Amino acid sequence: MLRHLFKLIWNKKGSHSLLIIEIWASFMVLFGVLSLIVYNVSNYVQPIGFEYERVWNLQLSNNQDTVGVSDKMHRIVQQIKSNKEVESLSRMSSNSPFSANQMMNGVTYKKVSISPEFFYTDENFSKTLGLPVVAGKWFTESDRVSKFTPIVINSKLKEVLFANENPLGKVIKVDDKKSFKVVGLVDKFKSKGEFASDSPALFEMLSKDDTWSTNVLIKTKAGVDANFEAKLVKEVAATLPGWGIEVSYLTEQRKNRHNLTLVPVTIFLIVSGFLLTNVALGLFGILNLNIAKRKNEIGLRRAMGATESGVTTQFLGEIWVLAALSVLIGLLFAIQFPIIHVFDMKANIYITAIVIAIVLIFIIVTLCAWWPSRQASRIHPAIALHEE
Amino acid sequence: MIKLQNVEKVYRTSSIETLALNNINLDVKKGEFVSIMGPSGCGKSTLLNIMGLLDEPSKGSIEVGGIKVTNYRDKELARLRNEKLGFIFQSFHLINDLSVIDNVEIPLLYRDSTLKERRELARQALEQVGLSNRMKHFPKQLSGGQKQRVAIARAIVGKPDIILADEPTGNLDSAMGNEILTILQNLNEEGATIVMVTHDDAMAKRTHRLIRLFDGTQVL
Repeated sequence: MLRHLFKLIWNKKGSHSLLIIEIWASFMVLFGVLSLIVYNVSNYVQPIGFEYERVWNLQLSNNQDTVGVSDKMHRIVQQIKSNKEVESLSRMSSNSPFSANQMMNGVTYKKVSISPEFFYTDENFSKTLGLPVVAGKWFTESDRVSKFTPIVINSKLKEVLFANENPLGKVIKVDDKKSFKVVGLVDKFKSKGEFASDSPALFEMLSKDDTWSTNVLIKTKAGVDANFEAKLVKEVAATLPGWGIEVSYLTEQRKNRHNLTLVPVTIFLIVSGFLLTNVALGLFGILNLNIAKRKNEIGLRRAMGATESGVTTQFLGEIWVLAALSVLIGLLFAIQFPIIHVFDMKANIYITAIVIAIVLIFIIVTLCAWWPSRQASRIHPAIALHEE
Repeated sequence: MIKLQNVEKVYRTSSIETLALNNINLDVKKGEFVSIMGPSGCGKSTLLNIMGLLDEPSKGSIEVGGIKVTNYRDKELARLRNEKLGFIFQSFHLINDLSVIDNVEIPLLYRDSTLKERRELARQALEQVGLSNRMKHFPKQLSGGQKQRVAIARAIVGKPDIILADEPTGNLDSAMGNEILTILQNLNEEGATIVMVTHDDAMAKRTHRLIRLFDGTQVL
C-alpha cells in the first residue's frame, strides 16, 4: 500500500508541489525556533554555579576623581564591611554577574589558545557568591608573593586548556610579559544567567593599585532590607563625594537578564505559532477540497474492498508521505547546521530540534488530515460512485 | 449466487419518503448472465448497489455466494466485496493519476498479496481483455472502449464469483459496446456470474435472463 501511495503522490507531484513547499517551510521555521528553545532550555537545566540571593551589586563610578582611586576603593570596602548587616563582600570588575559587560582576553597553554572571560576580583569572591572551589583553593593575599599572578579557572576552561591534566600549579601565558599560575578550580560560573552557556572563565586576583574594578558585591545577612540600602548609599556618598553610586540586587538583574532571552523567544514563538496555524488551516482546507474532488475514487475503493478505516488510513498515509518528502528536503538544509556547527552550537542541540520538529510536523499534518480523512471514509460508497 | 428476499429500499429525507425498491425477490444462479432493465429512476442502480453490498436494504435479506450478509459489519462487507464481487461502472471510474496496470491492481491492494503476485494477476487480467500493450499508459491516453476494458480487467483481477456491471456500454458507441459485451459473455462462459444493468434491448437479449423493473417493483 505504501508503494501505491508513493506512486499516487509522485504522479500528482505537480499539484502537490505547493503543499510540499508549505510543509517544508513550516519544518524550517519549527527547526529554527526549536533550536533556539532547545539551546536555552539545555542551558537553563545546567546549574548557574553560584548564589545570587541577598547579593547586592554596588556600582561605583569615580567620574572626574582620579586621585588615589585604589586607596579610596580599599577604604570604602573596609567601611562597608564594618556594617553588621554585611555577611561578606568582594570587589570585582565591571562584568559582574548578570551585567551586559564582557571582558575577554587570550591565554595560551602548550600551543592551545583560547579567549575566556576575565573576572578581576579579590580573595572574598568565592565566599560572597557561594562559588564552591572544587580543586585547589581560592587565591589569597599571600599568593601575591608568587612569581606568577594567581588565578582560578572554571571547568570549561580547564577542559579546553588541560583536558585530563591536573590544572593546579600549571602556568598559562597571556603574553611575553605576563603569565598566570592556576591555584584553584571552580565548576560552573554562568555569569550571564541560567540561559547563557557555561563558557570558559578565568578569575584573576586584583592588583593592589587597581583603579578599574569599582564594583562591590555585597552579600547581606538574612532580613536586611532597603533601609540598609539607603544607609549604605548615604555612607558611601559621604566618603566618596562626587562619585556615582548605584545599588542593584542580583535577583533583579537576573530577572532582567532572563527577559533578554525570554522576550525574543516568546516573540518568535508567537510569530511561528501564527505561521503554523495558517499552514494548518491551509492544509485542512486543501485536504477538504481534495477529498471532495475525489469522492468517486473513495466510492471506487470502497467497492473494491477498502474499509472505512482503510480509506481514513489511505488519506492519512498520503499526507504522511507528503510530509515525509517535505521533511526530507528540509533535512538536507537542517543537517548542515550540526555538521558545520553553525553559531558554534553543539550538534546535539540541532539534532534534538530536528527530531522535535519532525514529530511536530507529523502531529500537525495528522491533526489537519484526520477530520477530512474521517469524513472521506464516511461517504456512502453508492453515493460517492454516482457523484460526477 | 445472489439471493434477495423481500428487499425494500426507502430513501427518507425530513419531508419526503421515496420507495426505491418494493418487495424484490430475486435468485441469480451460479454461471447466469442476468440483465436488469427499466426506465430511468426505476431503481436499477439501487438494486445493483444492494446486490453489490454498496447499499443496505431498508427491509429484507441478501445472500451473496451462500452467505447471509444481514447485520454484517463494514469490515466483513468490505472483505466480501473484495473477494466475491467485481464491479464495472458506466463512467469507468479509473484513477487518472495511476497507470493502467496500477488501476487494475487496486482490488488486490486490499488483500494479502505481494507486489509480484499483483503485477502478474494484473498483467493476466489485461491480457484477457486485450490490453497488455497498454499497461504503462494512463487512462487519459485511452479511448472509451479501452477504458472500459481496463475497468473489466480491474473487476476480474481478483477472480470474483460475481461481476456486477452498471450500464457498462452506456458511454460507448455500438461497436465498442458490442466488443465489451463480447468480453463479458466470454467471462460468463468461463464461469463468472454476471448481473448487468442496461438500457439497451439488444444487449439484454444477449444475456440469459432479463429482469425488468418499474417504479421499484419487479415486473418481469
